[in-house]
Amino acid sequence: MTTALRESTLQTLGLGNVIEIFRRGQLPVDSGGLVDQVFGNSGNRSAMVISGANGIVGAGKTAQLGSRLQQYDIPIVALDFPAAPDGIGRQYPGLLRAFGPERANKIMGNVIRMHYDGKTLPRELHQLRPSFLLEAIPEILEIKRTHYAVFREAFPSIEIRSVTSGFPRSELGVGIAHPAFPHEINKLWEIVEPEPSAVTQLLWSLGLIPVPVSDNWSFILDVLFCGITLAALRYHHASNMPVWKIDKYVRKLVGPNPLRAHDAIGAAGANFLTWSCLHHLSQRYGDVFEPAAELVRQKDSGQNWYPFNHFRPLVDWRLEPDEMDEFRTWILGPLFHMTSLMLHEKRGHLSHMNAIGELCAQFRRGVIAMARDLGTEEVVKTVTAYHKLHPEAANSSWHPDAYAGMDAPEWQQLYVNAEHDGTVGVITISRESYSSRVDAELNRAIDWLKDEGLDRVIVTGDFHLSTQMIGADTSEFYPALDDVDAGAKVSAEWSRTARRLNDDFRISVGFVNGKRCLGGMLELMMHCHYLVAVEGADLGMPEVSLPVVPGMEGCHWMFRRSRPEHWSKALYLLLSGTAVEAEKTLGWLLDYSGPMGEALQVVWKIASGGDHGLQQRPLAAGALTGVPSEVSGLTAPDGELAADARKAIMDTVQQSCSAALTDALAVQTRHSAEFMISKACRNGQIGAEFQKTMAL
Amino acid sequence: MLPNARIPYGTWGSSYFPAWQTSALAEVNIGQFAGESMNRILGLKRVPKSELEYLIIGSTIPWHWKFWNAPLVASCMGHRIPGYHMEQACATGLQAVLLGGTEVENGGFDVVGVLTFDRTSDSPVGVFPERRAHERTRALADVWDNFGFDPATGNAMITAAGITARKYRSDRREVDDVAYHRMQQYFEAKNSGFLDRVLVPLDVLSVQGRPLGRIDDDYGVRRLTLSGLRAMPELDTCVTGGTQTHASDGMATLLVTSKDRVKEFSLRPEIDIQFVAKTEVRTHPSLMPEAPAFAVQRLLERCGMTMDDMAVVKNHNPFAVNDVIFSQVMDYDWRKMNNTGSPLVWGHPQGPTLTRVLIEALEEAVDLGGGHVLIFGCAAGDIGIAAIFKVSEGDRDK
Repeated sequence: MTTALRESTLQTLGLGNVIEIFRRGQLPVDSGGLVDQVFGNSGNRSAMVISGANGIVGAGKTAQLGSRLQQYDIPIVALDFPAAPDGIGRQYPGLLRAFGPERANKIMGNVIRMHYDGKTLPRELHQLRPSFLLEAIPEILEIKRTHYAVFREAFPSIEIRSVTSGFPRSELGVGIAHPAFPHEINKLWEIVEPEPSAVTQLLWSLGLIPVPVSDNWSFILDVLFCGITLAALRYHHASNMPVWKIDKYVRKLVGPNPLRAHDAIGAAGANFLTWSCLHHLSQRYGDVFEPAAELVRQKDSGQNWYPFNHFRPLVDWRLEPDEMDEFRTWILGPLFHMTSLMLHEKRGHLSHMNAIGELCAQFRRGVIAMARDLGTEEVVKTVTAYHKLHPEAANSSWHPDAYAGMDAPEWQQLYVNAEHDGTVGVITISRESYSSRVDAELNRAIDWLKDEGLDRVIVTGDFHLSTQMIGADTSEFYPALDDVDAGAKVSAEWSRTARRLNDDFRISVGFVNGKRCLGGMLELMMHCHYLVAVEGADLGMPEVSLPVVPGMEGCHWMFRRSRPEHWSKALYLLLSGTAVEAEKTLGWLLDYSGPMGEALQVVWKIASGGDHGLQQRPLAAGALTGVPSEVSGLTAPDGELAADARKAIMDTVQQSCSAALTDALAVQTRHSAEFMISKACRNGQIGAEFQKTMAL
Repeated sequence: MLPNARIPYGTWGSSYFPAWQTSALAEVNIGQFAGESMNRILGLKRVPKSELEYLIIGSTIPWHWKFWNAPLVASCMGHRIPGYHMEQACATGLQAVLLGGTEVENGGFDVVGVLTFDRTSDSPVGVFPERRAHERTRALADVWDNFGFDPATGNAMITAAGITARKYRSDRREVDDVAYHRMQQYFEAKNSGFLDRVLVPLDVLSVQGRPLGRIDDDYGVRRLTLSGLRAMPELDTCVTGGTQTHASDGMATLLVTSKDRVKEFSLRPEIDIQFVAKTEVRTHPSLMPEAPAFAVQRLLERCGMTMDDMAVVKNHNPFAVNDVIFSQVMDYDWRKMNNTGSPLVWGHPQGPTLTRVLIEALEEAVDLGGGHVLIFGCAAGDIGIAAIFKVSEGDRDK
């Protein structure tokens, strides 16, 4: 029997718990079987049609799905009006970059472009027997309904999904698969259907991120994104502050710059979609969603929000501290108000609701995490203050009770979950980058497993929201750029958490289940007694390129867990910043790498005490001698920053390795923190990001 | 005059007027700067720009895309409203406000923005193909060539000042005394914080979005000693480098509303600011400095008022000799006027000059508890313009 800290997000897809994946030694579904189910058996495949294929959504999804389905010989029919400007051709450079010329040509060669007049389907389409239609035509309800009728008349059993961001399934009469921008690379799809379907599970098995949401007017992403756009415009209306400056303050406060995003997506279409979403929401949920007059104007004109280059902003605006408080109320107030509605309507798993903001709307912290950080009282206070500024909004759709119960695991474990079967525990991390919130949740998950009496644990991604582990969330380092104590605190706390994976369990196994594991995430995982990766995963320590000094013991832990003949490889990994294939790190960083099924089985055997045949690499607790002070094969540093970073990392390696394990954490922490206040770090990527987002 | 028009108290503001070539304003499209600055000032005054219905802009020096006029400046403000451009040399800043009142009075609008601006730095050069001229084509540097040559009289502005000083037998010592006193008045007002109620610091960005400069002072204002003024050589009769103004850049703005809506915008709704009267005169060729006195004389006669009825007297005085002649013609002590400074000291950006003069005068009248405000000044073409406003403060005026 499986016990879980909270519901696994995989369960929302009908795919069970994560621990079952390890126990069974295989993924819950396989793409080959699902392809057969949706498109028919090999040699007799039916086609997939994407209508509106030259639009931003249609073209992006033609490239994304085309690249994943091409290997299964599924014809991709790209259908659009004859006069539609070519959007698919514009996808080719991206495919070329991602897959190289041979594969890119194959993907494009598998796309069959067809034209129609909106009423009569092309005759040639019948020969391809389409079984699945992804509709990406304009957001006009009647046109969409007519479109489905045309297809159903010709192909009565066809599965249809709409990419609509606003119309519910109950109005359209088809399922929803609403993808997030940028469509060629963003993997997340909001799914509306009564039960998880084969199409949805196929998306998951292809490496995409389907997220079930409830059937309402406008889905979670659009409530958040359109909502924060509206909040920005309301502040614009109240204060006169130009939208370009509001965008910067919204980015500082929350993460996205919503109006720039509209321009980047294409103002004409994006303005209409945002207006349409808010218009329909306001009709059902009241004035908090009422589109601002400025949005109506931009919707009608299709004009960009930002000034032309010849009118780049000339007069700056600054917010004084008291004005900043009011600004915060104007932005967070409606955001929490709207979120209360989504919580009240139970629109989705809280981790989903949170992740959608982070993965699709540029939120630095998801809206649920933001609310959790503030606490119930402060959230309600913020919304109440907003209602004083905008009294019309107070009349409807405000559900303060939705913020009660924040102590529940659903609220507390947004990023880290834990499951166990009484013998083996599994900790899953659903965020690609490590943050202080992930750190806190990971500690709670460890505590819970310990309380449950577990001393065997697997640490891995969540097989759903996190498809890779990219390292530390560098925005966490902003306070450390001018405060050595802040840097030391982050480094020490995160390192202590990582050590728990080594110290608190009899057996711990890290499993890299995605395509890469880098930086802070790799430092975390290397603290497990065993480290396993799926074949082809990339492992790396890119800190030198930011630059920062690895702060979670990456500068000595690898050396303590490997024999001296491997130390130059570890040093190369740290000083080059270049990722390497997992297989190349066997014996000194990794203990096993193989295809997914085999890797899962090995992980389970290690964790459950089965016969896995691997020797645990010992951890040297004393001072190490003979750690090389130089490494061959490194290219010359490409500038002063890189040279400074290499020197700092080399110094850290030397000093933390020559200390005993008990002292090494402090040595590493000090080096990492001191480097973060250095000119090299402030002038590097993190300093530049800080200047761009926080130093207005 | 204009019984339905009002100026809502406090919904105004001006940039500082840095002397030409001393600030980031030398590098901007001044129309764009003015539009964005007006938006900023209205924001600081808590006036949603969306309330504006019409915009009158006033400037005298051509700026890039001037053809697109007030609607373009309104777009730079971020609010698409109609409007038009007007100009009348250095009378622009007052005339634009009066036209704002006229638009309200005509009943077409309840809330009219008035925005005046100019950039004298690097003024544009116009090329005029003229076949009858022996050069065939003439190039005109807008600011300096205009200062230097009135085509109707053949004389420069400074020459007109000298001619008028000679006509009135002005005393160089008195002219120096006026200039010195005006400087004292300006610095007293500045040090007292009075100007902080009128002038708004503005941060100018480069095309890359980085700080280009902060416009937070009337850069170029000199604090001369009386002996220093006396020692300066005359450029023409009674005109020295210390007794004439200097070219500068800047903008100024205020709102004009209907009587019915003024309280919605006023930062102190108990204060009522009305338009009373306005006139203009044109004097003989090259006697421009006397024209304002004649305008005031005419205005008072027509209104049946005297200088004693005026609580605040303030003028555009590019030459100190203007004030000496005004005192002589009107038998009025020049020490009683321009209490918070004047263009002689803080500069001469042309379009917005008299708008700032008016804003300072209205603030001064409020400090005094109300009363009539007399605004006047000279303008190219030997013009004098004068107008009276009335400031009442709640029950005190009844």
